[in-house]
Amino acid sequence: MLKIENLHAEIDGKEILKGLSLTVNAGEVHAIMGPNGAGKSTLGYVLGGRPGYEVTAGSVTFDGVDLLELEAHERAAAGVFLGFQYPVEIPGVSNVQFLREALNAQRATRDEKPLSGGEFLKLARGQADLLGMNYDMLKRPVNVGFSGGEKKRNEMVQMGIVNPKFAILDETDSGLDIDALRVVGDGINRIMRAPDKAVLLITHYQRLLDYVEPDFVHVLADGKIVRSGGKELAQQLESEGYVGIAA
Amino acid sequence: MSVLSQILPGTGRGTSEAGGGGSPLDVTSVEAPLHPTATRRGPPPRGGEDFRIGLPSTREESWRWGDPAAIAAAAELPRGIALDAGEWFLDLPGARAVFVDGVLDEGRSDLRHVAIVPIDGGSHALGRRTTGLGWSLRVDADATAELIQIVHIATGGDNQLPAEIVLANGASASVVETYVGAGWSNRSTQMMLGKGAKLTRAVRLLQSDGFVSLRDEVEVGAEASLIVTVLGAGDAGTRIDGSITVTGDDAFAEYGGALLTRNDQRQECAVSVRHAALNGQSKQIWRAVAADKSTASLAARVEVARDAQKTDGVQSLRGLLLQRTATVNLKPELEIFADDVKCAHGATVGELDQRALFYMQSRGIPHAKAQALLTRAFVGDAFVQITDETVREAFVADADAWLERALSAPLPPAGGVGGGASS
Repeated sequence: MLKIENLHAEIDGKEILKGLSLTVNAGEVHAIMGPNGAGKSTLGYVLGGRPGYEVTAGSVTFDGVDLLELEAHERAAAGVFLGFQYPVEIPGVSNVQFLREALNAQRATRDEKPLSGGEFLKLARGQADLLGMNYDMLKRPVNVGFSGGEKKRNEMVQMGIVNPKFAILDETDSGLDIDALRVVGDGINRIMRAPDKAVLLITHYQRLLDYVEPDFVHVLADGKIVRSGGKELAQQLESEGYVGIAA
Repeated sequence: MSVLSQILPGTGRGTSEAGGGGSPLDVTSVEAPLHPTATRRGPPPRGGEDFRIGLPSTREESWRWGDPAAIAAAAELPRGIALDAGEWFLDLPGARAVFVDGVLDEGRSDLRHVAIVPIDGGSHALGRRTTGLGWSLRVDADATAELIQIVHIATGGDNQLPAEIVLANGASASVVETYVGAGWSNRSTQMMLGKGAKLTRAVRLLQSDGFVSLRDEVEVGAEASLIVTVLGAGDAGTRIDGSITVTGDDAFAEYGGALLTRNDQRQECAVSVRHAALNGQSKQIWRAVAADKSTASLAARVEVARDAQKTDGVQSLRGLLLQRTATVNLKPELEIFADDVKCAHGATVGELDQRALFYMQSRGIPHAKAQALLTRAFVGDAFVQITDETVREAFVADADAWLERALSAPLPPAGGVGGGASS
């Protein structure tokens, strides 16, 4: 589904990714772990198409398409979802308006018919219910005044509504208490655990992996994947730290 | 000249203290003229003279961002055919007036309690040029006037029109004005609110070319409420000069809006609110959005006189640059002589939040549409005080139409989830 080869990327002239290669197949959940500054978030942003991140070498193909050639919104329409570590507050734009726009824009890019207001509301309510989000929060401006946990929950509601093929979730577990972690973990499993879908979980900690069991764990250090393994690698990292493994 | 036959009786000309001095307003009758010395003076010559004579100079501080040359150029636009007024009226009941080049179009108007009378435009550099026949709304004590909609159609050249709104104690009125067409439209509007009176006025500046200059002078009496909202969303130059004096205790005055500029357009507003009484509240919420090489300027002033204790003033001026070639000028001013007042103020100019733009794009919204949604949200702050839903929707629609022109991005219906399919 996703094939990253020898990816080099820089921001403001500073190279962050230094030859990263990774293949994710449909039906797989991959976890990327690594110390601060390793390039984990940069990987997410480069895959999402954030301006300012320049790819200097390498390639990324998604379902056979050159992902790097697509605009950010086209990547979304192609089925890529980027869950933000720090979801952005958008005053004056309601969650429902934002999400309906997003979903219908994606559908338009894919030459599909837009959802009507009624169809959309039904979908949005359903997803909000599943994630234990109060429907009133959907009517509020996007993320404005939300707690850290509510923002992350909102990311999962968004993911449920746009129903992507491939989700990159950047520290979706940070800022969550135990109960919220379980809700978010259940959400990821429910929405993304499918034979035709895949997930890249970017995380610092093992704890999210207790809920969303990865098929593969990779250690990212200094812009490269330095070690890959099964879920036991995450446990090893948790007990031994990055120092020994990433060195 | 058919307007002359429209002069209606009922504007008494006795001497009056109304409008004079700093004493609290007490308007028990709406018969007295606002400027007792001048109502009989005929209109000054309109047309034929050199418009540049007597226009303000940019050397004057209050005109430092002004564009007097644009006024002269607008006044020389050739006259053309009047647009159809019908489409500019909102679907609301009440009185309607159409002015074509400042002259009442009787056939398309239903004046009801609005009268056409001689009005003095005052002493302001532009306002005084309007002296002559204008529209007058006078509402008796404790009466509520029907909504008044006025469409000003300019066909070219210059046109001048004075107006007055006098609300007696406890009276209330609501006015919506829309400016369309091309040319120089110059207006002076004098407003007087007696004790407990309520006035809401919404002004849509949608001329496609030329210049619109508004001079507003308002006296707000005790416990009265004034809400004026202006939207500049056409392609004409704009100059708004507002002077609001809160003369009675416990009064509320809100004067704000949005200026949207593109291409090489210039729009500016210079407004001052003077608190001369106790417990006054005022709000100046302005948003400026500038695209291309345009300039939007806001100078807003709050004055609190020594005796105006417990004044609560809010001033929020925010500018948004859609391109770095555009200019937004902001000049917030506070002059406070009382010692027990609260005056919140903020002035910022910036670009759209790049993080928010990327966030929206990452969810599938194309860049131009994301810009449009964020800009709409930014502008929307200036319309929240419009209580009539139809009027507020019209303002949002006008702003949306501007955004679609400026950003070449279609917008979904405001509110997002109502109605049928969105694009």
